[in-house]
Amino acid sequence: MDIIVCVKRVPDTSETDLAIDKGGKDIQKGDLDYDINDWDRFAVEEAVLIKEKAGGKVTMVTVGDEDAEEMLREGLARGADEAFLLSDESFEGSDGYVTASILAAFLKQRSYDLVLTGTLADDDCGGQLGGMLAAMLGVPVATLVHKVDVKDGTVAVTRELEAGLSETLDIDLPAVVSVATGINEPRFVSIRAVRKVASIEIPTVDREELGLDEAAVGSAGAKVEIETVFLPPEGEGAEIIAGSPVDAAVRLAEILKEKGGIA
Amino acid sequence: MKTIYVLAEHRQQRLRDTTWDALAAGRDLAQKTGAELACLLLGSGVDAMADQLAKECPKVIVVDDPRLANFNSEPFVKALSGLLAGRDSYVLVIGNSNSIIDLAPGLSVALDAALATDCIGFEVDGGKLKALRQIYSYKINALVSFKDATRIVATLRSGFFSFAPSGAGPGAIEKVASPLGDEPLRKRFLSYVEAEKGDVDIASADIIVAIGRGIGDEEDLSMFESLADAMGGVVACSRPIVDKGLLPKYRQVGTSGVEVKPKVYLALGISGAFQHLGGIKGNPLIVAVNKDPRAPIFRAAQYGIVGNLADVVPALEEKIKELKG
Repeated sequence: MDIIVCVKRVPDTSETDLAIDKGGKDIQKGDLDYDINDWDRFAVEEAVLIKEKAGGKVTMVTVGDEDAEEMLREGLARGADEAFLLSDESFEGSDGYVTASILAAFLKQRSYDLVLTGTLADDDCGGQLGGMLAAMLGVPVATLVHKVDVKDGTVAVTRELEAGLSETLDIDLPAVVSVATGINEPRFVSIRAVRKVASIEIPTVDREELGLDEAAVGSAGAKVEIETVFLPPEGEGAEIIAGSPVDAAVRLAEILKEKGGIA
Repeated sequence: MKTIYVLAEHRQQRLRDTTWDALAAGRDLAQKTGAELACLLLGSGVDAMADQLAKECPKVIVVDDPRLANFNSEPFVKALSGLLAGRDSYVLVIGNSNSIIDLAPGLSVALDAALATDCIGFEVDGGKLKALRQIYSYKINALVSFKDATRIVATLRSGFFSFAPSGAGPGAIEKVASPLGDEPLRKRFLSYVEAEKGDVDIASADIIVAIGRGIGDEEDLSMFESLADAMGGVVACSRPIVDKGLLPKYRQVGTSGVEVKPKVYLALGISGAFQHLGGIKGNPLIVAVNKDPRAPIFRAAQYGIVGNLADVVPALEEKIKELKG
């Protein structure tokens, strides 16, 4: 079973106060921490779990710059066998469609049984990659998958619908499976494990090696452009209770009592 | 653009609410651009749903094929690309849902269309369509444009487009032969699976203490359980807590989890992503504690404290116990 996992390095924006940069087309990223996209971490772990059960090889791939190497190396420490960095100056400004095209060009040069991705990335919140990639490769896809069972030539998946409902599907391999968070418990990776893979070379593959035209990548190839970004209007919003934590908590307890929040 | 198409979503022979959201957006876009409006209904045994749609839409294009019974993305993408081939200059709007996430990206590639997912609004500027989406953990709004507006697929976040019956009179129903060929499907729907039921039914709780990612690396939930006990409520959570294995899925509030309708909802360390808020029904009093003053939960809440849970929660419990006497 040859598995290729597509991952992305994203800024951690979930618990941080964000500001718009001067150009008005992006946020200020200077002070943000970067890490593997949360959904993709589960995809890497799932690939390694499948390999441990069924044998085979796990390959990681990302579109990015040299800063992505640390993320790839952590994936190697997690149990991936090899990693590739798809990098070219001309990739700057790529949208979801172009990113999928770049990864599709890489995948078309290799053999694989299963491609794993996260369903969504926390930076663009697009949820496009898996479906686009599968269409470009001409293989079936399932997204929001929270259970994978690889069989001989097929994969049985359970995917999330709404209100606790799921659906099960049977899919011919090769296929693209985009996982949901929570599908597994990503293992802890020690610094020692990362050191052990320090000597594994992570090849960089550029646009020409992928056989892509300059006009097809980056902002030149993008179908969707960001015109402007802004903070959502505040609206009415909550009344913020001021004061020390204890004072605020006391006031909140009184409000809860008034409003029936204490049974 | 010539036509605004609206794809109807259904499950188990019923139109889903997302369909009406999408029709509302489609109607608005058709009005702003002067384009025609048409619904696309693909399914198996869909006559009743077609009649329902025709009451509100001037044209309903219907494909009836047993392989389209469930929203299996493979036959849907094939049928839709067959149906839309040669009908250039359109915007296809679809209510976003977990079935559509499986379908829209592949469809956009098959149609060679531009795709904007999970849109919360539209602008029409000099005849050009722009879509409003949210990026960076849904905390930033982004207005996007399309380089080639010949074919656009846009999926819509639920709750941002509200439908009202127009009473415009019955539209035409156009039945089209199934564009699907005889080749076997490589993706086969097997069954629906209901979620396991747990020891607590948060759907029927009046008071909910919900915890989220903001509790940090804390694995000991006793502080929150103790607060919930003092309030006479139950502990629920957002998705990251289930993903970490700290609480079972039947305690997760949200569109993919459980829909709750409490009187009071205390959100602790919950950022307030729309997938979570979508599970809170019945307009409860929402109170939030979060260290990020810009957390979207503060836009949904009536009262809030910006601060650390470790400082606020014990003080809150102590005062509640005191007030109870």
